[in-house]
Amino acid sequence: MTKILLILVSTILVNNFVLAKFLGICPFLGVSRKTETAVGMGLAVTFVVTLSTALTWLMQMLILKPFHIEYMQTIVFILVIAGLVQFVEMVLQKTSPALYQALGIYLPLITTNCMVLGVAVLAVQLEYSFIESLIYSFGASVGFALALVLFAGIRERLSLADVPEALQGTAIGLVTTGLLALAFMGFNGLVK
Amino acid sequence: MRDILEMIIILSTICVMAAISLAKVYDLTKEPIASQRRLARLQMVNRVLAPHDNEPDQSAVQIPLDTNDGKNRSVLVYRGFQNGKLTGVAFEMTALGYSGQIGVMIGLDPDGTIRGIEITSMNETPGLGAKITEPQFKEQFQGRSLANARFKVKKDGGDFDQIAGATISPRAVVQAVREGLELYRKHKEAIVR
Amino acid sequence: MNLIRDLVNGIWKENPIFRIVLGMCSTLAITTQAQNAIGMGAAVTFVLICSNVLISSTRKLIPKKVRLAAFIVIIATFVTIVDLVMAAFFFKLHRALGIFIPLIVVNCIILGRAEAFASKNPVLNSLMDGIGMGVGYTLAILIVGGIRELLGSGSLFGLSVFGPGYIPFLVAILPPGAFIALGLLLGLMNKINQRLAL
Repeated sequence: MTKILLILVSTILVNNFVLAKFLGICPFLGVSRKTETAVGMGLAVTFVVTLSTALTWLMQMLILKPFHIEYMQTIVFILVIAGLVQFVEMVLQKTSPALYQALGIYLPLITTNCMVLGVAVLAVQLEYSFIESLIYSFGASVGFALALVLFAGIRERLSLADVPEALQGTAIGLVTTGLLALAFMGFNGLVK
Repeated sequence: MRDILEMIIILSTICVMAAISLAKVYDLTKEPIASQRRLARLQMVNRVLAPHDNEPDQSAVQIPLDTNDGKNRSVLVYRGFQNGKLTGVAFEMTALGYSGQIGVMIGLDPDGTIRGIEITSMNETPGLGAKITEPQFKEQFQGRSLANARFKVKKDGGDFDQIAGATISPRAVVQAVREGLELYRKHKEAIVR
Repeated sequence: MNLIRDLVNGIWKENPIFRIVLGMCSTLAITTQAQNAIGMGAAVTFVLICSNVLISSTRKLIPKKVRLAAFIVIIATFVTIVDLVMAAFFFKLHRALGIFIPLIVVNCIILGRAEAFASKNPVLNSLMDGIGMGVGYTLAILIVGGIRELLGSGSLFGLSVFGPGYIPFLVAILPPGAFIALGLLLGLMNKINQRLAL
């Protein structure tokens, strides 16, 4: 139980995937202009990351490892993720139009979110058990969503501020993220 | 229908070709990767091990580790021999630092006195916790043993210096070393035989 | 003439980092040292060139519908090759770059160039585009890495620049420093570009 809590706190706050591990930066900068879209993206990512990590973990343990073809990991994982995203999109469209309306437009963007592949590879590298991998991937994506929503909130304010012309857009976004990362460093050592 | 068939054939061809070329590259790089890994490992071992004339990893022993999470883990204890006589052992222990696991390679004389330690892996804050990799910090372990030192940082009433601004990382290293020494004491029979 | 244009394009006008702002994850993560930046740059450049050439030469054979899946498999293959070769011959570098080597697969620059350029242009042009983009990427992360190493460790390529008395500006090699340094550099590039445009 403690270990599960430890993994959660550590992935959400201490080793936040965006702010400390630099994974998922592209969508982080891309879809953070409005809080609403940030929430949508956060939910979609949480869903896909947790599901894909479960799948890739099984792939690793049931196929790659027994057949000693661990070097195929990158190819297999990325194909699983791409396939899963397509599949989720199709299922959502058929079964839950409301949810599809809310998350649909974010799904295609997720395949190239390096966080999805990153979490899958890291969960295997850290030699987590199946349950631990699930917790780890869930925590990681909640951390992503948290950072995204926080940042979107700041950005909405920022759009009203008088930013020097050269720094407008991504440049000031990055500097702001830096300050947010600085704030998150305060969580360091929380796990110990 | 023909379209779909064509698509499947082309995609499978690409995948098969990818798999074949990767298998080839893997075959070619397997040996060098293994030997690089071994070299990096031996480099750490040799730094903390007493003079020896054998290959420490050829005469290593597996020692089971007491764990509380139900997983079976063991430590590989490297042994150094000179003219057939055991001169020292080295093994790696880990402890949770400020940000993630810290790996410590511990070198002991057969009687359990520390000959030296090396940090094998860590992610501590540069300039603060990362100072555990500096000689100044590592050297204070030399010549210490369970008999002549209290394995805690000074702040906790022990004999080891913490680092200004970072107590957690040194505390983790000291803990890893203490656990290592206790492990050696417990399994000495099996290790020195 | 066109070939030269394709080559130079990626280095300045469409520099992947400073101009189109793609592939930020690795840019931020591994730029604590100039040396890592060179290693990462070389790996990305290799994958870019190989995937661009292969995709361009097979562009008439691959049906539109399975295009993206095919690209991803091709790119992932080259990335794995880099991963294995690096582990075999550049062990230390491989360890320093860690997870960011397999993650080259999802580096948007590579898939982006495959889709936007290589799948539409002849082999030679695609080769030039690959080289240009690779060099542009490498230069950009080298600048970021150089600045961060200089401020954060007082050294460049591991050699001390400011001498032992230098008190390092630690934040520069910590995560926040990465974001702030890249943000300010982007601003600087925008400024230079505005000046050039006038």
